[in-house]
Amino acid sequence: MSANDKKESKQDTLEREVESVVDEETAGLDPAEAGRIREKVRARVLEEVERERRIRTAAERRAEERRRREEKRRERLHEEGEMFERFNRNFRFQHIVMFTSVIILVITGMPIKFPEFVLSRFLVNMWGGIHNATIVHRIGAGMLIYFMVHHLFYTVFSRQGRRDFILLIPTPKDARDAVQNVRHFLGKTGEKPRFGRFSYIEKFDYWAVYWGCVIMIGSGVFLWGEEIVLKFFPKYVLDVAHEMHSDEAMLATLAIVIWHFYNVHFNPDRFPGTLMWWHGQISEHEMKEEHPLEYEEIMAKRSKQKAAEVPNP
Amino acid sequence: MRGTFLAAAIFIALGVIAQGFWFPADARISLEKCTLCHGKPEFRKILVDGKIRDLFATADSLKGSVHEKKTCVDCHFDVSEIPHRQRPQRVTCTHCHYKGNAEGAPQSDAYLEYFGSVHGNAIAGGNTKAPLCQDCHGNHSIHKTKDPTSAVSRGNVAETCGRCHIEIYAVYKTSIHGVAVSQGIPEAPSCTGCHGEHKIYAHKDPKSTVFATHVAAQCSTCHGSVSIMSKYGIEAEQVTTYQNSFHGVASGFGSRTVANCASCHGVHDIRPSEDPRSMVNPKNIPATCGKCHPGANPNFAVGKMHVDSHSKESGIIYYTAQFFKYLTIGTMLALIAHIFLDMYGRTRRLRGDK
Repeated sequence: MSANDKKESKQDTLEREVESVVDEETAGLDPAEAGRIREKVRARVLEEVERERRIRTAAERRAEERRRREEKRRERLHEEGEMFERFNRNFRFQHIVMFTSVIILVITGMPIKFPEFVLSRFLVNMWGGIHNATIVHRIGAGMLIYFMVHHLFYTVFSRQGRRDFILLIPTPKDARDAVQNVRHFLGKTGEKPRFGRFSYIEKFDYWAVYWGCVIMIGSGVFLWGEEIVLKFFPKYVLDVAHEMHSDEAMLATLAIVIWHFYNVHFNPDRFPGTLMWWHGQISEHEMKEEHPLEYEEIMAKRSKQKAAEVPNP
Repeated sequence: MRGTFLAAAIFIALGVIAQGFWFPADARISLEKCTLCHGKPEFRKILVDGKIRDLFATADSLKGSVHEKKTCVDCHFDVSEIPHRQRPQRVTCTHCHYKGNAEGAPQSDAYLEYFGSVHGNAIAGGNTKAPLCQDCHGNHSIHKTKDPTSAVSRGNVAETCGRCHIEIYAVYKTSIHGVAVSQGIPEAPSCTGCHGEHKIYAHKDPKSTVFATHVAAQCSTCHGSVSIMSKYGIEAEQVTTYQNSFHGVASGFGSRTVANCASCHGVHDIRPSEDPRSMVNPKNIPATCGKCHPGANPNFAVGKMHVDSHSKESGIIYYTAQFFKYLTIGTMLALIAHIFLDMYGRTRRLRGDK
């Protein structure tokens, strides 16, 4: 018996089974009605069998998967509207590299600042002792330095990078937005400030990371190459670098854990966090809510494009 | 006839046993009998290696010692006839010195610690040169530790240890601790101050009080105490500054390679930093730091070593720390205020207020 015959017989048994069930269920109905139901069931079964065959190969299964996702997305689109790309792939990659390295740096660095803390001993022993922890810390440092270099190149050489950098420069509007936002929180004014592509909160985060990276990498490199540094500088320079590294680490960790986590995780709108860092997409609904000026800009651009595309009669 | 013989036998046996009750001292060898030989000043034995063993001992030998009321055979109990045919065994102090003894010896189990120690292990391993109790505490002239004439008193213990550890003793004697002990400073540590008394272990043994990860704690028992250090004008915060430094933190996490107090200040040859022979004298710092940081140069000595960012004397380090302190407080206050205002606004809107 060949494999094909086997499949054939399997299909036959399936058909017979379905038929017997249908017979049982339609026993009380009149023959015309029963016939119609039987036809319907047959069509449905055939459709299912056909579908099964269609997704038989792995490639087909993947395509099917994609089709279903697309369907799901279209359903969601109905609620949230169109999806816009907020962060491009390069920017998302940078963010992932950065937060991975920062997590590594914090869990290997903080035990050195707080050796008495209950978790510290665990966090150090996890790597197999303080010596290994310092190696892991340097791996994290290497990742952060890579991120910084990558971002500088991105800012200079990428169109999107240059555009975003200019939009991230603080303006007087940000101060006005901050004041209006506080007034809004206090109920003094009903209107939320209308943000562009980057709100003053996001601008603060961006420049905080800039400041943090400069201080941490600067002092960290000094501490890393202490023997070379001591060839040219007296010891108190290293002590200052150590103090800066230790204190700025505290500030950065607090800012991330309290401020950034509140804005992207614990904030009731976002809890427990969105996947925007992974797919970079923002819905039309969110766009109108949080970046209305950018949304309007995009819409205006589109209508202009459409107008340009209309062929001359 | 047979009955009379049995009665006589029982009578004689009882008489022999009863003798033990009536004349106990007669069964033992009296002091006078020992001093027949040992009381002669020239009584000595020349050993095979040419050394002379002085065997002179009289009633005065025990005078003033803690064993004043004891006689020779209380300790040399294996001597049962005079003259003794063999050389008597070494005296076993634990015959009396254990907790619960009825001989009037101190009720202490301190001797048990000796058996696990490096000396006790050496004896158990068959090293005949390793010290037993009497090698440190003395043979006949045993005194209480508090007694300045005791071989193990604060002033004498270094010399006692130095009988075997002669090179270390020579180094220690001129160190700041050795000088302080000889000046009679009561808190200054002698050998036992750092190494322990009976439970002395090799410095490579993790049980040791001077094991790499225990050194800092051992030094800080005195150097961390403000009440002791203030008497001699020494800063007690050297301990905290070390503990907060990377060396101290890594040592606390169990690193054995990182510098502890002894790595920089020396082990037995600790001297004040003004002393040109001190390992931490600015002139010697490149060599001292260079043990771990190859290529160390005089820059290592520029700036305070035990730096405390909280004290104003640290200069630029203090101001850096202050700058970051206020930056952190200011930033975090603003950010947390923003978060609470946001939450307040959300609550208000949820409640339906405008």
